[in-house]
Amino acid sequence: MRKHLLALGAALALSPCLMAQKIGVINSMSGPEAPIGEHITNGIKLAEEDLKKKGINLQLVWEDDTGKPQISMSAMEKLATRDNVVGVVGPYTSACSNAVAKLAEKYRVPLLIPAAAKEEITRQGLKYVFRMNAPADKYASSLIDAAAALGKPKSIAFIYENTDFGTSTTKTAKEYVTKKGMQVVADEPYPKGAADYRSTLAKVKSKNPDLVFMVSYVADAILLMRQSKEVGLQPQAFLGAGAGFTTPEFAKERAISENVISCTQWTGDVNWPGAKEFEARFKAKFGKEPTYHAACAYASMMIMAETARNAGGDRIKTQQGLKAGKWNGVMGEVQFADYDGFTNQNNHQMLVQQIISGNYETVLPAKFATKKPIFPFPKWK
Amino acid sequence: MAVFLQSLISGVLIGGVYALIGIGLTLIFGVMRVINFAHGDIMMVGMYLTYLLFTLMGVDPFVSVLISFPLMFFFGGFLQKVFINRVLNAVAQNQILLTIGLGLVMSNTVMLIFTSDYKILTTSYSSSTIQVGGGVSISTPLLVSFLITAVITAALGWFLLKTDTGQAIRATAQDRDAAQLMGINVSRMSVIAFGLGAALAGTAGALISPTYYIFPQVGGTFTLKAFVITVLGGMGSVVGATLGGILIGITESMSAVYISSGWKDVVVFVLFLLVLLFKPSGLMGKSRT
Repeated sequence: MRKHLLALGAALALSPCLMAQKIGVINSMSGPEAPIGEHITNGIKLAEEDLKKKGINLQLVWEDDTGKPQISMSAMEKLATRDNVVGVVGPYTSACSNAVAKLAEKYRVPLLIPAAAKEEITRQGLKYVFRMNAPADKYASSLIDAAAALGKPKSIAFIYENTDFGTSTTKTAKEYVTKKGMQVVADEPYPKGAADYRSTLAKVKSKNPDLVFMVSYVADAILLMRQSKEVGLQPQAFLGAGAGFTTPEFAKERAISENVISCTQWTGDVNWPGAKEFEARFKAKFGKEPTYHAACAYASMMIMAETARNAGGDRIKTQQGLKAGKWNGVMGEVQFADYDGFTNQNNHQMLVQQIISGNYETVLPAKFATKKPIFPFPKWK
Repeated sequence: MAVFLQSLISGVLIGGVYALIGIGLTLIFGVMRVINFAHGDIMMVGMYLTYLLFTLMGVDPFVSVLISFPLMFFFGGFLQKVFINRVLNAVAQNQILLTIGLGLVMSNTVMLIFTSDYKILTTSYSSSTIQVGGGVSISTPLLVSFLITAVITAALGWFLLKTDTGQAIRATAQDRDAAQLMGINVSRMSVIAFGLGAALAGTAGALISPTYYIFPQVGGTFTLKAFVITVLGGMGSVVGATLGGILIGITESMSAVYISSGWKDVVVFVLFLLVLLFKPSGLMGKSRT
């Protein structure tokens, strides 16, 4: 036993110089979150290519969490104890990330979360947990600021799925609108995967809100908008907070997705270094437009791998490297800072976009905008 | 008032589709005493069949019922003959394991072929509506699917009540041994019943696909729903399943409006428990000894 331990220790000590950087990836590659998981996978694959060009060889250990926190947690245990990775990039959903974050701290494995929105994840003072994307409060505030800048909305209705992502986004949004002096006229959490939202939407319609704020993943987003059209819900603006409202699949449903305003972490036409090239290469390689998840995952893997290499494959040094570093790439300026109760949180600039003629166009903030926003929401045909 | 009417109408319409799923399950249970936990997955296969017909050959989802109904009938018959038939006399948990296993094989096979991406069928009428006045609107595809459901249910009722085969199926459901003694080919009736059950589930899948979305794991939700509907209506009762389906549809949509969307499942299950508490055999069920 002692001998084995010694051999293992020796192998561990030697590994950084001999082997490629061993980095774990936890992602939802199958299950209901798989369509977005695929973008994260592809973003990481592009990063792997680029790192190779820079002379950094990666040995990625892929783990599929199927979107379930318990599977995510066992994946993390495996990566931390059996695979001995330097760091982990992932998981995708808020529920999985939140579950895994505490384990990362326990095993002292640097964890870089690319695209999970729940605020609490980086609000627990966890030293080994870093987050690339802006948390949920930014989703809400950037969207509501945009709507307030465009018109004078007085009332707002919330429709959101009753998961970590939905409730935490909505909770901060509600606090924010109350501060702005708007009235919350409807507050409707729904269980994911229901076939019929018509009754909920009819109830919202009867309250006649100026703004309708929705938080959903892909399929529900399409269903909600279809049924909104059916019942004739007609606010000044539909605000879609992230996830389902920012995918190419949603934009393709032009009859119902046109003019919906959403916010995103990233767009292909933003003037951050390498963003446009990233979009072009992604499209050429995978035949799909990248979502912000892809860009977040790409940037996360680049940063994690470079930091791990500079730290010589040591977990503690990697953690210090991530904490001290500053980067500028496809995601704009990245720095993991402590502010407003957050720890190791990148204070990311959100972009507001609108679907115009079937394309996502950046409409706010003005310095990144390509098109003028359309407001109020045109009458349903 | 508009909100009340709106949610009542959409509850009844969606309930019609639920009823169709429930009828299939109850038919299978009535004849074979097997609870088919693969029912939702069979429905999922029907959805993908509709999706294929629509994307590859441009067959309208509602017209595709004409093709998917017989195909799903044979699929169901095949499942019964090759798998279910072997466990008819086995203990209940083995039957449950077999049907759950079949469901897993189906959903994972479909996942291998189509990946786990959501598929959305976009037809020209997917989000079209009929205005009935007073601010109430009815979804056209949902109305059409409700009408088709009504026609199929009526036809099924006629088949079970009036035809020889239908009567033989009912006789088998009432008492398998006695039916066999009367010269009824009970194993053939089982194949027909399972085939019909699968065809109804597949049809429900086809009918719901223009307004819903399709993914390999969609079956689970509907298996649970079908199970609740069947038990609520009375195991083995076709009329009960129809009532149960519509009742669940209305309960869901009413509780979404007057309580909260997040609580609608709770309301449905509380109702379910109450029925079981006061009428353990279900709404239309006769208690058996």
